[in-house]
Amino acid sequence: MKSRSSELRRARPLLGTIVEIGARGPGASAGIEAAFLEVETIHRLMSFHEIDSDVSCLNRAPLLTPLAVDPRTYEVLTWAQRISALSEGAFDVTVGAELVAAGFLPEPANSEYPFPEANFRDLSLLPDNRVLLKRRAWIDLGGIAKGYAVDRAVMMLKQFGVVSGTVNAGGDLLVFGAEQPVHIRHPEEPGLKFPLGKVLNSAVASSSGCFSAREKIHAVNDPLIDPRRNRRVNWRFSVTVIAACCIVADALTKVVRLAIRQAPRILSQFGARALIIDRRGLRIFPANENDTMSSALETAARVVNAETRASIPHQAVTGL
Amino acid sequence: MQKSRSIWLPLAQVPIALFAPASYGATYLTLEQAQQAIFPGEKLSQSFINLTNQQVQEIEGRSDTNVRRKQIQLWKSTNGGFFIVDEVVGKHEYITYAVGLNSGGTVKQIEIMTYRESYGYEVRNADWRAQFVGKSASAPLKLDKDIKNISGATLSCRHITDGVKRILATYEVALK
Repeated sequence: MKSRSSELRRARPLLGTIVEIGARGPGASAGIEAAFLEVETIHRLMSFHEIDSDVSCLNRAPLLTPLAVDPRTYEVLTWAQRISALSEGAFDVTVGAELVAAGFLPEPANSEYPFPEANFRDLSLLPDNRVLLKRRAWIDLGGIAKGYAVDRAVMMLKQFGVVSGTVNAGGDLLVFGAEQPVHIRHPEEPGLKFPLGKVLNSAVASSSGCFSAREKIHAVNDPLIDPRRNRRVNWRFSVTVIAACCIVADALTKVVRLAIRQAPRILSQFGARALIIDRRGLRIFPANENDTMSSALETAARVVNAETRASIPHQAVTGL
Repeated sequence: MQKSRSIWLPLAQVPIALFAPASYGATYLTLEQAQQAIFPGEKLSQSFINLTNQQVQEIEGRSDTNVRRKQIQLWKSTNGGFFIVDEVVGKHEYITYAVGLNSGGTVKQIEIMTYRESYGYEVRNADWRAQFVGKSASAPLKLDKDIKNISGATLSCRHITDGVKRILATYEVALK
C-alpha cells in the first residue's frame, strides 16, 4: 500500500456538516486553504438562513424584476432547472415553503408567503447572471448546493496544482487523480459500512431518510419534499448516485427517490448510476447492464457479485 | 436512450452482512499543526484557565450548552488572539477541534483536529448479531484504516456549532 503520509487532510465544520479535504501534490496546503474558502463562499451565497445570501435576496426580491446573482449561484440554478425539466418537477428548488412549513427551515424575513402552486417554471434564468421570479416562491438549494461546493473545491485544488485528492462534504464526495476506496454508510446502522470499491474521477452522493428517522438530530439535516405533492416524503431506503460531478450526483439522489420512472433515463443522460439500499439489501439501479455504467460502479458491481457468491449466511438479511 | 422501467430488477441482492462493522476515525492536525494553521508564524503561549462555578453557570446560561470541563485549554497569541482546544462528544462521535479567536473575540478559524466515530452496534436482532460472534471479538472496536471516504447520510456539525457557542460565551465571561 502506498504511503498516505504525503496526503494532507483537513476538516472544517461547513455547510452544516463536516467538510473534509484531502490533497497530494506541491500545492496541497495552499490548495486546501483555497478550497475551504470557496466552500465558505458557496455557503454564504446559497444559504437559506443567511439574510444576505443570493438565495435570501431572491426569496424576498420583487416579482418580475431581474436580480443579478453571483455566477456560481446562477450556475447552480441552471443545473437545478435542467434537472427539474428532465424530471418533470420531481426535483424542484422552489420547495422552500414546504420545508419552512415542516419546520426544517426558518421563515425568511421580509418576504410574502409563497404562492402554493409556484414551482420551478416560475423561475426564469436571464442573460448576465440575472434571475427573475414570476410568482412568489421560496428557493432552497439544500438539495444541490453541497454537491456544487464539492465540485468547486476540487476545481480550486486542481488550480493550485494538486495532483490527486478527495473532497467530502458530509457524505457527498468526489475523488480525483488517484483512486481511493469509498464506503457507503448503512442508512439504518450508521456504524456499518459497505465497500463500494475504488473510485476514481467520480462523485458519490447519498441521501437517506432511514438515518433521519432514527436519529432526531439528523432528521433536520435530510428532509425530502415531493414538490409535485408539496408533501414530506418518508425515506424507506437510501440512494447513492455515482456520477462524473458531485452536483449531478447530489441532485440525482432526489430524482431517483421521487421520480423512479424517469430516473433511468435521467441517470443515463448524465452517465450516472445509482445504488439503492433498503431492508432487503443493496441493488444497482437501473438493473440492466449498458454502456453508460461508469467505471466506478463497475467496480462496485464486481465487489457486489464477488461477495454475494461468498459464503455469507443468508439469514443475515432477515435481521434487519 | 433506454426505456423507462417501472419495476426494479435487482442485479445483485446483497446480504446486509456485507456491511462490516468498523470504526472510523481521522487525525487531521496535531496541536502544533493546528496552532500554525490558525495563527501562522505567531508565537503562542500556553495559559490554561480553570473556570469558577459561577463562571460555568454564566457560560451555560449564555450559550444554552453544558460546560463539561472547567479547565480551558487556552493559548494566547502575540497579537492578542486566543487559541482554544475543545472537545465535543456526540452520541456516536468524539471530535477534538481548535478555535482561533481574534483579539476582539470573533471567530478567526475553526479546524478539526481529530474525529472519531463509535457505534455500539445495538442491532435489534440477536440472530443478526450472532453472525459476528467468533469472527473477531475486537472487530467492532478496530479502526479500519481502509475506511477513509464515506458516502452516506449527512453528519451534523451541530455539536461543533454548540461548542463554538460555548467558547464564545467563555470569552465573554472569562477572557475578555
